[in-house]
Amino acid sequence: MTEKKNTGNEYLFELALFLATSARNCIDEPPLYGPFRLLDALSRLSDFPEHASGLDTDPFLKKVKIFVEEKKFLVMSDVEGFTKAADELIETFAKELKRRSAHSKNDEQKGSVH
Amino acid sequence: MDVFEAIKGRRSVRKFKLKGVERELTEKLLTAACWAPSGGNIQPWKFIVVEDRTILDMVRKISPGYFGETPLAILVCSDKVRAHKVGGLMGRDYLSVVDCAMATENLVLAAYALGLGACIVKSFSYVAIKEILEIPQGIEPELLVVVGYPDATPAPPRRIPLKENTYLNRFGQSFQTAEA
Repeated sequence: MTEKKNTGNEYLFELALFLATSARNCIDEPPLYGPFRLLDALSRLSDFPEHASGLDTDPFLKKVKIFVEEKKFLVMSDVEGFTKAADELIETFAKELKRRSAHSKNDEQKGSVH
Repeated sequence: MDVFEAIKGRRSVRKFKLKGVERELTEKLLTAACWAPSGGNIQPWKFIVVEDRTILDMVRKISPGYFGETPLAILVCSDKVRAHKVGGLMGRDYLSVVDCAMATENLVLAAYALGLGACIVKSFSYVAIKEILEIPQGIEPELLVVVGYPDATPAPPRRIPLKENTYLNRFGQSFQTAEA
């Protein structure tokens, strides 16, 4: 068995297929599989720049992926832990959102003419 | 391997080594599956062994519950026509499903005893798997078992203690056990 790296288009197609099959299966599956699939999709999405030309790897999203991979299977055994991890993830995202907003505001101010 | 050791030691493995599974071992897994109990001895199971890399890749892509790459997947299907013919409505609608589940349990226990890892996957697209594996009408995909040499084995999940799910003589009456 050999590992083959997908092209951007192949990777995108695979991700789209994952979303489509997950959407259908989530109708019948345990309700917690919905958030689980979304987190799994987030993890897969974080890898997209590695397969697509013209996109830079996002270090924040790479860290997010590591976190999600560590925690996602808690859904099978520890719902409370899974929920806590999801909250922790959102908190990390919120902090990153603030950091990026401040950064882009600074950039705007630097670029504006007074 | 002692059967109780296999039952307690088996885990759902989701990370595998890049090493193929020998055909001889695959045959042992299938033999173990075929020796499962079967209501009315219907033996409604049909197995599709997927070893072809391209087909495996397609099956993985349409199965959100299929984690990691594996060299082998076995789809356990029920033959509804045979189940109906031999076992009537109960055979078709109930026994065929539980028989396939029992066969699958035998298969994953055998995998563990042979040093393999396996994970039972129900989260696959029913429509897509029928298309990809060219499954005819009357044959229903029940469970997909992904198999390979384990690269990581998860910790055991908590089990509900017997005192919470077992009763003595009548429902609700406590069943005393030595377990903590």
